[in-house]
Amino acid sequence: MVGTVRAARHGGRTLAGGAFTVGLALGAAALFGSLGALGAALRPGHAVVLAAVALAGAAAIADLAGLRVRPQVRFQVPERWRRTMPLARALFLYGLLLGTGVTTFVPAAAVWALLPLCVALGSVPLAIAVGLGFALGRALPVLAVSDETALAERPQGLRVLRILAAGSLALALVAGTARAAAPVAAPAGDPGAAGTDLVWQEPGVGGILLRGGVQSQLPGSDPAIGDSFIAWHTGDAVTVAARDTLQPVLQVTIPGVEKLAVSQDWLAYRSAHPSGSEEIRAFAITDPTTTVDVTRSWARGRLGRPSLAGSIVVYHLALPGRSRLFSFDLSTGKRRLLRSARHALLLSPARIGGKLLYVRLGRCSQQLRLGRLDGNGPGRVLYKLPPLAGQDLGHEHGHTAQGSRVPCPGRPKPTTRSLWTTALTETAAYVTVLRPAGGGHTTPSLLETALP
Amino acid sequence: MLSEAVAGASSRRGFLARAGRLLLAVSGGGLVAAALDAQKAEAHHFCGHVYTTGSCPHPTGLPRVDRNGFPLRAADGHPVDDLGRPVDKQGRPVDSHGHVLLDPDGNPLPPAPRTRVCQAAARAYHFRPYIDGSWYRCCGGHVRRLIDCCGFVQKRINGDAALTGYCYRGRHVFCVMYYDSKVKC
Repeated sequence: MVGTVRAARHGGRTLAGGAFTVGLALGAAALFGSLGALGAALRPGHAVVLAAVALAGAAAIADLAGLRVRPQVRFQVPERWRRTMPLARALFLYGLLLGTGVTTFVPAAAVWALLPLCVALGSVPLAIAVGLGFALGRALPVLAVSDETALAERPQGLRVLRILAAGSLALALVAGTARAAAPVAAPAGDPGAAGTDLVWQEPGVGGILLRGGVQSQLPGSDPAIGDSFIAWHTGDAVTVAARDTLQPVLQVTIPGVEKLAVSQDWLAYRSAHPSGSEEIRAFAITDPTTTVDVTRSWARGRLGRPSLAGSIVVYHLALPGRSRLFSFDLSTGKRRLLRSARHALLLSPARIGGKLLYVRLGRCSQQLRLGRLDGNGPGRVLYKLPPLAGQDLGHEHGHTAQGSRVPCPGRPKPTTRSLWTTALTETAAYVTVLRPAGGGHTTPSLLETALP
Repeated sequence: MLSEAVAGASSRRGFLARAGRLLLAVSGGGLVAAALDAQKAEAHHFCGHVYTTGSCPHPTGLPRVDRNGFPLRAADGHPVDDLGRPVDKQGRPVDSHGHVLLDPDGNPLPPAPRTRVCQAAARAYHFRPYIDGSWYRCCGGHVRRLIDCCGFVQKRINGDAALTGYCYRGRHVFCVMYYDSKVKC
């Protein structure tokens, strides 16, 4: 291919090289994008993702070790095209074929690994991005290398390419893992987000605002942010301030206030009674004297932190027999059951538009899920942790395993970390992770994960 | 009858009868002791279970329950919730030292659902649960109650034909569980 492009140097190298590159890009986008669409339709489970990652790791090792690429495609681009067609057209068609990666000789095992990875990604844009990256990697040697024998006639040339491919695959895997959940701050928890602003509570310190990459301490605790407002409290004194200037616009006293949520028109809060019970209430920012009862009183620890978007409050209610997520429309007074579980714990919903973010603690895993507000489907898992408890063998020592049952296949190793509160923007989801700190206490840390 | 009683107490026939009873008691006791020991080795996947019916689904594996049918961790009898986490009497999750787990604000973490084992099996497999009969074995030095989770089912959790077991009135055993008492044996 290098020779073919070089043949056009004196008669239109740029056009030939450009045609080749465009063909590569289109061929890669078509195949990889289709695989991403397939993944989005199938929504592959955890096992498929793990298998794809394992295959990628094996492919990287095979390329690093210089092992033969298997399976191999014994097909090459039709040579006669360069003699029977205009060169630019022939190079465009060559690029289309080579851009798929698997319709001609496969130069590196990494190519095979990219295909299931694109399915596992389950996202057309991301899969196309992978394809374009592959196309670029395939175009550069052809366009940049001046000695056409460097790749075709010297094994070291191809060896270098395979090592680069393996390195790229490994970097992509690491970057993908890191991108899955990036740490934001610790100790930090109970996030709130609006636009590019992020707030959280730092235990023992107070509210923190992250704006433009700069952290600043707020003059209160348990901050909330929404639309053009930001709120915090100092003891029972609650302040609602302008989000851009932090200048107070409203100050009220709410006895026992614990957690806040704010939007353009409303402030919602969870407060505790001296008896220990808790409830969620709200008021319009323009009329703080008239409160709306979002929930009745519940025993401490059962009601979650409220989250507010527009006039809709979402919260969790955890009872021994059932775990539920609710929404409450402050303008109509209508309550709606969003999700319910009998054997799992649903926590900390957050809403933006028609999307619902929440935590699901199940027997075999903990998940941060993003689903539709008006659906009951499982949604997409953005982040996952192992289960909170281990399991025995299902049978006693010295006894057969026949008839035994265990709750989770594969005996996952349990963790003491626990997913907790959440926040959601159009582009990112945030989740608090609790770690044990002795005596039953926990320390929070805050993670961010990009939305697909 | 009186003559027989006198004869039994004073004659050779009576001696032979007493010797026979003694021998039977010794051999029978040995058989019982051997049977008790054999329970541990010959029972299926846990002590006392003598058929092939599988365990009821349980949050931690072995289907140990309390006297009300709620799940306990088999190793130490600690109550667990449906997530397998050890919990206190109020159902709140606790750490390995028994401290109630708290959020960063000092509030107890929310309780997860905690379901009776037979009821959870019935929900998962769509039948109405019944606890009918039980049988008892000596396991680990304490009396263990083996409990059938019964229902109007034709198949058991293993997937094959369900047995009558200790179920009444036309019900069959779907799965099994057990309760360890403090009665020594």
